[in-house]
Amino acid sequence: MSFDIISMILLWFGLYYIVSLSLNMEFGYAGIPNFGKALSVLVGAIAVGGILDRLLMLYFKINGDFITGSTYATSAINTIIASHPIVGIGILILAIILASILGLIVGAIFILPSAKLKEDYLGITLLAISEAVFLICTYNLNIIGGYYGISTPDILAFVSGEYRGWVFAGIVLIIAFLVFLFFERLLNTPFGRVLRAMRENENTVRAFGRNIMMLRIKTMAIGSAIGAIAGVLYSLYTVNIIANAFTRVDWTFFPFLMVLLGGKGNNKGVALGVLCYVVIKVLLDIYKYNIKYALNIPFEPVWLSYMLFGVLMLLILYYKPSGLIPEKPILTPPMKKKIAEIKQ
Amino acid sequence: MEILRTENIVKYFGEFKALDGVSISVNKGDITLVIGPNGSGKSTLINVITGFLKADEGKVYFENKDITNKEPEELYHYGLVRTFQTPQPLKEMTVLENLLIGDINPGENPTTALFYKKWIPKEEEMVEKAFKILEFLKLSHLYDRKAGELSGGQMKLVEIGRALMTNPKMIVMDEPIAGVAPGLAHDIFNHVLELKARGITFLIVEHRLDIVLKYIDHLYVMFNGQIIAEGRGEEEIKKVLSDPKVVEIYIGE
Repeated sequence: MSFDIISMILLWFGLYYIVSLSLNMEFGYAGIPNFGKALSVLVGAIAVGGILDRLLMLYFKINGDFITGSTYATSAINTIIASHPIVGIGILILAIILASILGLIVGAIFILPSAKLKEDYLGITLLAISEAVFLICTYNLNIIGGYYGISTPDILAFVSGEYRGWVFAGIVLIIAFLVFLFFERLLNTPFGRVLRAMRENENTVRAFGRNIMMLRIKTMAIGSAIGAIAGVLYSLYTVNIIANAFTRVDWTFFPFLMVLLGGKGNNKGVALGVLCYVVIKVLLDIYKYNIKYALNIPFEPVWLSYMLFGVLMLLILYYKPSGLIPEKPILTPPMKKKIAEIKQ
Repeated sequence: MEILRTENIVKYFGEFKALDGVSISVNKGDITLVIGPNGSGKSTLINVITGFLKADEGKVYFENKDITNKEPEELYHYGLVRTFQTPQPLKEMTVLENLLIGDINPGENPTTALFYKKWIPKEEEMVEKAFKILEFLKLSHLYDRKAGELSGGQMKLVEIGRALMTNPKMIVMDEPIAGVAPGLAHDIFNHVLELKARGITFLIVEHRLDIVLKYIDHLYVMFNGQIIAEGRGEEEIKKVLSDPKVVEIYIGE
């Protein structure tokens, strides 16, 4: 195995861990079937391609067509980043802030039409909204360049090509770790507890004074803000955005698989689920033709991963719905203290 | 003194008139019981009072405040909590967690949750209280068990425990002893008596008159969405239960 494969695995692990952690809060903790998870990742791409690129065009006073204009703007900023690394990091931070704010707003609005819907309809509605936005972004070239795609700044223009993958993977892993710490702190609290209670039984939670809709809005706002960060990192890594890349299979279905595989409601379990998925996925991508010829598979090997992961999803749901590492009760510090007293 | 009053509640399910002008009055500190055969509208009445169903006509007053058709989450803040006919424990959560949901902690707001100092004091208070309630209900040894693993009777006790977390003024219970063994059913009502002694008012819908009769202060009998008889105090309750109408529709069922 070459080193490139390892940096690839680390990068995808980081990206998917961020998305899966946010989905785990929405679905694993709060029980919201967010089949529109891909939308939040797309929002990150919109923050970079739709907003940041335009800001750069304004800054460099580039007029005219957005798709060509953004190419000039990004190559101008790349020249600056090549000699001033701090600018690259600044752009990364700016993009993350932009995307988080946009994600907060979009997430909060995204869940509103579902005020009166039960779980099944809620999932379908979220899927439909997400797909609609995806199609609009794909076919309207003025938002993020649609199927033509647009360039994004290379925040690592100062790093030589052979190390870029490693450095970027490092950045993504650091951010993923920070997101993990954020969710651990946010969810091992009464907030995490009330989300789980909402998942278990909405009526009980309502009878005890909580407004379900407000809880959903807050959850989806935070979840979408974090999902958008993954969209930013992915867009900046590939140095261009093609709207068709933000499919429901890659950014909704697979994250659901990772959460279910690792253990819904368990942030550490989700890490394991993501790792399993990414390793299998990267190896399949690399060795798919070897597998095709070795096993004499009578179809295009690109379908292998879809089939394999589809079957895996069914097996988990059927045989191990709690995942590899099942969730644990939320123990706040006062609960731990009291339990320790009792056990003495 | 009256704590809850309904005035001519009417509730339709499509064409079917489930409640047909129901007026009841619940006195503070009483255990008030509503009986009636299946389909007489008992649960519907409770669901209207607690906001889970909306009345088509009529009014509900709690401590003289109009609470008609308010949302359940608002009524909680008036001091009105309820349990459900089928126990609705948070199955994948522990007994202790189930109780803690009974009170609201500022740390349920995500922005506050991140700053532990802002919610730990309240949490400490809640944990202490939860263990006291578990002791009272003789459930302490089960605190770390998942609620879904408990027996039906224990689940009902957990629901009562959860209702006690906020010092409610009134607890509305929908069939608290349905499907519970007689021994445990008496236990549940002895707990209700103790809580009554602390000043909590109970409005209870129940089918099993034999068990609950000796615990109650006030009785309403429902049939076809109407109140057909009422009595407060031992004498009157006896009279109600020997009323031929009541005997025919209820006891004779």
